[in-house]
Amino acid sequence: MIKYKKDTDNIVTLTIDMKGRQENVINHNNCDLWRPIIDHLQKEKKKGVLKGIIITSTKKNFLEGGDLEYLYTTKEAEKIYELATKLSQFFRDLEHPGVSVVAAINGNALGLGFEMALACHHRIALDSSDIRLGHPEISFGLMPGSGGVIRLLWLLGLEKAFHILTNGRKYRPREALKVGIIDEVAPTHKDMLEQAKKWLMSQDEAIRPWDKSGGRIPGGTANHPKTIRLIQQLTADLSKNTYNNYPAHQSILDTLVEGSKVDFDTALKVERRQFTQLILHPKTSNMIKTFWYDYNAIKKGINRPKGFGKFRPKEVGVIGAGRMGSGITFCCIKRGIKVVLKDVSKPIAELGKKYTKEQLAVRASNDTITVQEAISLLDNLTTTEKTENFKDCDLVIEAVYENEMIKSKAIKETEKIIDEYALLGTNTISIPITKLAKSSFRPEKYVGLHFFYPVEDVPLVEIVKGKDTSDETIAQAFDFVRAIRKIPIIVKDAWGFYAARVQNTYILEGVTLLQEGYPAALIENLGLQAGMPKGALAFADDMSLKMVLKYEQQAAVHYGSKYVAHPAVATLVTMTEELGRTGRFKGNGFYEYVKNESRMLWSELGEHFMVTKESFDSQEIMERMLFVQVIEAIWCMQEKVVNSAAEANLGSVYGWGFPAFSGGVLQYVNSYGLDAFIKKCSVYKKKYGPRFSAPSLLKKMQKEGKEF
Amino acid sequence: MTEVYIYDAVRTPCGKGDTAGALFQVKPLDLLNRCLKALSNRNTFETEHINDAILGCVVPFGDQGDNVMKTALLYSGWSKEVPGMQINRFQASGLEAISLAAGKITAGWGDLMIAGGLESPSRVRRSNFRGAISSDPNIINLIGSIPSGMSADLLATLHNIDRIEIDEYALASQDKAFTAQKAGCFDNSIIPIYDQNNILLLNQDEVLNPTIHSEEIAAMDTIFPKWGRAGFEVAALKKYPLLEKIKAFHTVGNIAPMADGAALVLLGNKEKGKKLGLTAKAKILMASTVSSDLSIMHLGGVKAAEKAIQQAKLKVKDIDLWYTNESFGALGVYFQKHFSLPANRLNACGGTIAFGEPIGALGAMLLSMLLNDLERQGLKRGLISIAAEGGMGSCMIIEIV
Repeated sequence: MIKYKKDTDNIVTLTIDMKGRQENVINHNNCDLWRPIIDHLQKEKKKGVLKGIIITSTKKNFLEGGDLEYLYTTKEAEKIYELATKLSQFFRDLEHPGVSVVAAINGNALGLGFEMALACHHRIALDSSDIRLGHPEISFGLMPGSGGVIRLLWLLGLEKAFHILTNGRKYRPREALKVGIIDEVAPTHKDMLEQAKKWLMSQDEAIRPWDKSGGRIPGGTANHPKTIRLIQQLTADLSKNTYNNYPAHQSILDTLVEGSKVDFDTALKVERRQFTQLILHPKTSNMIKTFWYDYNAIKKGINRPKGFGKFRPKEVGVIGAGRMGSGITFCCIKRGIKVVLKDVSKPIAELGKKYTKEQLAVRASNDTITVQEAISLLDNLTTTEKTENFKDCDLVIEAVYENEMIKSKAIKETEKIIDEYALLGTNTISIPITKLAKSSFRPEKYVGLHFFYPVEDVPLVEIVKGKDTSDETIAQAFDFVRAIRKIPIIVKDAWGFYAARVQNTYILEGVTLLQEGYPAALIENLGLQAGMPKGALAFADDMSLKMVLKYEQQAAVHYGSKYVAHPAVATLVTMTEELGRTGRFKGNGFYEYVKNESRMLWSELGEHFMVTKESFDSQEIMERMLFVQVIEAIWCMQEKVVNSAAEANLGSVYGWGFPAFSGGVLQYVNSYGLDAFIKKCSVYKKKYGPRFSAPSLLKKMQKEGKEF
Repeated sequence: MTEVYIYDAVRTPCGKGDTAGALFQVKPLDLLNRCLKALSNRNTFETEHINDAILGCVVPFGDQGDNVMKTALLYSGWSKEVPGMQINRFQASGLEAISLAAGKITAGWGDLMIAGGLESPSRVRRSNFRGAISSDPNIINLIGSIPSGMSADLLATLHNIDRIEIDEYALASQDKAFTAQKAGCFDNSIIPIYDQNNILLLNQDEVLNPTIHSEEIAAMDTIFPKWGRAGFEVAALKKYPLLEKIKAFHTVGNIAPMADGAALVLLGNKEKGKKLGLTAKAKILMASTVSSDLSIMHLGGVKAAEKAIQQAKLKVKDIDLWYTNESFGALGVYFQKHFSLPANRLNACGGTIAFGEPIGALGAMLLSMLLNDLERQGLKRGLISIAAEGGMGSCMIIEIV
């Protein structure tokens, strides 16, 4: 599995090629395989017959690592600490044979795999835009635990290391070179090995900066006054960015700070202890569950209808060059898919092209693509005012103004042009797909594709299945969403679909709190502290208060005689009808809007909604705002609006920003404990009304001893 | 209970606490040395009569490190039998040193002591020696520690104090200080600083800015903090979620600048004073120490004063003169409002916005000013209350004898 080859210059090339699997993986189980090799190399070094070592691989990836499944299930601190120690020691031995080691990175090196690359004296990566390097652990609420944090600290200094570890980016080689986590890029595989050899021949002795006497951390240790100022700033930024809800960010900063104050080997212990603590943190478990297990399940297609061949869209049509259409266009173009963008006139359509060009330029400037790539990608975009230009499209997405008439017209026009196999999708937030499908001659090929604003940032797309939409169409829509690397969740064609319906409950609860006499600032602060991206009232303004009301009216229709009026409705009616304040778009809502200033709560709010509460229970208010969302999501499961916990969880985090540390709406219940959750529901039901009733699905699960 | 008397109080002038200050070229030890010499010259005691010397100093490193009090005693040629120690309760350190000495005397564990404080930020910068409360990210976020300036802004926001009030307060502080300086109010207690050739370096407070006026102060930009404000705001709003945001009020014009300086007090019981022929200036009636929420540290000064007054079974009206620190203008405004004090009873000879703050010596400095002021005005009772970081506060009430 590790091939050994020595050349006439006494340079050994170790090629990793793990048998029986597609990818090279390193973890606590297989790192022992390296032991005899390292021992052998040390002997050769003593004999003076070893000049240097190159580590590379023959597989598509260089080395990936970690064993999230093992970490997820291991609950003993000693075991976790021990496995991190074992790996840490292996990396230490690797940089210690006394000769230089080069990592010739021919493919992805991520997580633990990149920790190994960092334990080499020099890193050269193949200059390919398919390769990804770095430490994405943070997305699972984790951090490196076998020296990655401390090595980055010593190589780049505290500030850079902190940003690299907390942004979790997977860098392309050029970008990695720019940020300083690799030393060279090579145009071809052959060049890479030659460059590696050249570097090795130029080296006398292999001593890492931290093993040299007098070696120093760039920018100084955390005891240095300048670094102290930096740490204070990072600490403040951390509060602002995470509300201190994400322990991994804190652990990374703590490790860097503590680790800088002690010697390298002690620092590795500090790192392992923080790593161990994180692994055992319930928030980490939540995040691994959702962003590893659930994410992979969706990627593998648990929700994709079976038995249909893979759909590979080559050319996509987009109707409407507004903010949604432009965003969709860019997402397709970025993935190399041809796009025909149509609007009522060519100049308007060109606005969408301008937007795409700007977005590509941003990516070129931060090296995620080359300038050349940006140019050739943009060549794939055609703008037009003629529907005829859709004739070669495999899929057309209609993203025109949210109006039934206009949408119907677009559907009819498009169907005249596109061929019988092509899909037609509609981006709508509130009009039922089944209703729109009445304008279609071929409703089985017609599907809802609900993108979220801003399209290029939100990774979620709701695929809405109309009454007549065929399974094949759903499968193809799924493949399309995956082709632009977004997360598809398949939802029923009911009011608000899934995301908007559940998000609305958060807004309504915030408005209810206002009605109950709590001050608006409190509601907004507690929403943010609970982990939501915005306060409930800010969300209401952004969505428009009328839209919030409209969703609730749709709920009333949906539940018919069973509907219980939501206490927030009265306040929303007062706001929109009596006070004429409808939200951000009109420049007045719960907030006041002054150009170029951040919005402030409407100063007269207290006159219309009297503050009557003299004391408050922060915990309970935060819980109320999360519970309503969780309960609504469970209704969605019960009514089969969504069909899997994986979709519900990821949809909640990506769709409207339900706190990621909770692992999503349904994982929230798992983590809270089903029994405890049901009990709390009945407490809140008594205090605040029937919207807190636990759906029967929960009681059924309780009987069956299940969890989401 | 044994009563404790203040026999003398001396202080150096307050120098600008940076490299432009007149005392930058002076070792912190020399500031103490001048105070010690003045005490022994002005009074009739032999140094071996001193049972202990307690010193407040907030950054006890470098030139101020290794127990600077004991070093100063040796340096000044005091008897080898005099012990010395250094303590830290932030801004209240100097006052706390005096309370501690007074407590020992009250308990009968000593009869004559030296206490006070020292700080020379021009020589020993606090930002070079940060502790966990302000530099360890784990501790900062765990306890919700925010910078003092932000905390003062929080106080002002919570109590609807506005910028104009704060600026006016700051101007009044400068005005009172300048008037007092011109009238020679401090001549009795200020120990001029000379070099080794007896060439004068500084004989009066250096920081004062008598020319500052209302348009100038109103035009100044807020400074706290220049960075990380949004992050610290999050930390503060976690504790005070009823606020929408924390407004910024403080500028270089309405906060107390850092200053260099030292101040010492000679205190003992009646019997010892009589035996040595010392003249008592005042007696200590009461002292208190409190702590409350650290993110709004400035409540400490008010709470400590309330506690001391109550413990002494006095009323607000029984206190003739009040001195408190004006580290940030909002503190002074809040203190004054809370006790409904007329301007001529609070910091009557000017406050720290004008004089600056030698942080470790602050309490002893204010005691010396208060004593001067009471004597000058022929008043009886005075109070010093200091708001200190960490949400703490210390207070002392004295009475002229």
